[in-house]
Amino acid sequence: MDFAFLLQDIISGILMGSIYGLIALGLTLVFGVLKVINFAHGSFLMVGMYASYWAVSLTGLHPYVALCIVVPVMFYFGYFLQNFLIKPIFVAEKDVREPTTVIIVTTGVWYMLDNMALLIFGPGYRALTPNPLKGQMLEFGDIFISVPKLYGFLIAIATALLLYLFLQKTRTGRAIRATSLDRDAASLMGINQWKIFNIAFGIGTAIAGISGVVLTPFYNVYPTVGVPFDVKSFVIVVLGGLGSIPGAIIGGIIIGLIESVGPVYMTSTWTEAIVYMLFLLVLFVKPSGLFGQKYDW
Amino acid sequence: MKSFKLTLGAVLLCFMTLGLSSFALAVDSIKIGNILPLSGPSAAVGQQGKQAREMAVEEINNAGGIKSLGGAKLEMLYADSKSDPNVGVTEAERFINTEKVKVLTGCWNSGVTYPTSAVAERYGIPFIVPVSVRDTITERGFKNVFRIAAKDSWWARDQFAFLKDMSKEFGTELKTVAMVYENGDWGTGLAAQWKKLIENSGYKIVLDEPYPSSATDLTPVVNKIRRARPDILLLTSNAADAILLTNTMANYKVRPKVILGTGGGHADPTFLSGTGDNAQYIFDIVEWETDINKPGVKEINEKYKAKYGNNLTGEAVDAYVSVYVLADALERAGSTDADKVRSALAKTNLKTGPAAIVSYDAIEFDETGQNKFASPVIVQVNNLGKGLERITIWPKSARRAGYTPVFPIPKK
Repeated sequence: MDFAFLLQDIISGILMGSIYGLIALGLTLVFGVLKVINFAHGSFLMVGMYASYWAVSLTGLHPYVALCIVVPVMFYFGYFLQNFLIKPIFVAEKDVREPTTVIIVTTGVWYMLDNMALLIFGPGYRALTPNPLKGQMLEFGDIFISVPKLYGFLIAIATALLLYLFLQKTRTGRAIRATSLDRDAASLMGINQWKIFNIAFGIGTAIAGISGVVLTPFYNVYPTVGVPFDVKSFVIVVLGGLGSIPGAIIGGIIIGLIESVGPVYMTSTWTEAIVYMLFLLVLFVKPSGLFGQKYDW
Repeated sequence: MKSFKLTLGAVLLCFMTLGLSSFALAVDSIKIGNILPLSGPSAAVGQQGKQAREMAVEEINNAGGIKSLGGAKLEMLYADSKSDPNVGVTEAERFINTEKVKVLTGCWNSGVTYPTSAVAERYGIPFIVPVSVRDTITERGFKNVFRIAAKDSWWARDQFAFLKDMSKEFGTELKTVAMVYENGDWGTGLAAQWKKLIENSGYKIVLDEPYPSSATDLTPVVNKIRRARPDILLLTSNAADAILLTNTMANYKVRPKVILGTGGGHADPTFLSGTGDNAQYIFDIVEWETDINKPGVKEINEKYKAKYGNNLTGEAVDAYVSVYVLADALERAGSTDADKVRSALAKTNLKTGPAAIVSYDAIEFDETGQNKFASPVIVQVNNLGKGLERITIWPKSARRAGYTPVFPIPKK
């Protein structure tokens, strides 16, 4: 086995894996705070991709400048979605900590968004144009590094770091953490639980938007693009530990490495099986995941 | 269902008027039962097949019908299979017993054609299969089933015939093959056919890689192709992964001498827009293309487009041709007796007329009822100044006039 090739696979795996991690970050945050399994997360990613696609196509902005538009738009999209669709269920099922009806609602949102995209944009695959990053590769002999994926890696790490600092250092961040620990106690301390839910859901959605911006320069946009990423995000979130920020990123990178280095020793079909076997293994051996808290209040 | 009842009503009305006038004219109509997926998941292709049949029937009837039968007109009855085998079987029974059709055609979905053609066989009614690719449809020793389209295994066969012809024509030596395919029924089935053909044609397999069609990243697969350095890359992909593979291969500068797709994702209308220049020069196999260099193709396609608003597809062409094959057989049989029509069909040898718009030279059935000559065409994606398009290059007799294929794919 040529070392250069193995290095190539490791690099590709880390880059793609960090992007999986970024996508999972939004999911893990929403779960951590609201204890809601957001099945619509992949659809939010899809919406983010279309938003980024249109922002770039219509204005000619650089793909990453589109973040300035996509992030606030997606934040408020999530903010109001939680306020008008999910909050009423929490209110109706006050005594339940994790109302299952919410799963049905997020699934409904998933179907609605995917089908709306199908209705509005059609089933076609759209590639970003103009796209200054298209096909850009750094070449070091036999090792190729995709430039848009490298940026994706940097944005993923930056996002995770910023989110971590936000949760640790700011007042709102502390309120979010308090709410995630015990929403009733937090309410008694004067924290507006609903507003925190809105903000957390908004941030989760905005992260899906960031992932969309990161993916669009090297991935095609189509109505069901979120589905395979959504499935992967669930595996990552369980692997890394529900609600854990480093868990999401490192879990993503682990999945990326399995997918990338695995095929050297077997066919690509098997790596998918290994990912799911790992998922089951974690559920059996350490249900809280690699970085999850052992005791969930 | 409502429209079906209406059609049925209209057909009955026609029949009654015809029945009344038959004494005066001494001309009968010949009833043909068509079972197609007119609603449900395959409705689009079903409708194409219906439109193409209607156009052919109109042409034949306007030209005086079947002359050896005193100018008898063809009369099409349609039934909607909804892609459901049970419906196909029931409709076939109804057509034969109640409507007394002389011939049946259909059913597009292999799964529907398979049991439905067995009904026709039992009653001894000829059954023309325009398109349904499953091999076994004509491999059951049936006497009454005739298939126009190529069967499944012939797609792989023609891919290899193409490779051989092209490397001879352009003097390119091809030795090693990489097979990369989606791990579903379709991909793995084709890969099994490829393997047999590779063994027989002296190529060497350097990579045999199935991948999940839902993969979000195909860089690992592309890296494996890069390492294997094949001369020929055979692909079977659905749309999303075909686009992803093509773009990733371009990024990693993976350019085998031949990149050959198997329709599906590579033939998807959005494939070219999703890949752009990255798709240039790749080859793909497909049932039919509008630029086939055969007499009548342009005129018939334009007529169809004016009538129905879109180009003829492979499905539509086979449906159109099947009506001409039937008319030809009826003409020679001089009778609507099932046995006579059957033996006339078995002796079909059509080389001219509207049926010649197929990409191959003739329509002739072998003892199993399979059109011996049927073969798909191979196209190359290239930009001739009007954006990327699919250009027919193989078989050579169907190659677009004035186009020289780029073979092998040039290194960048």
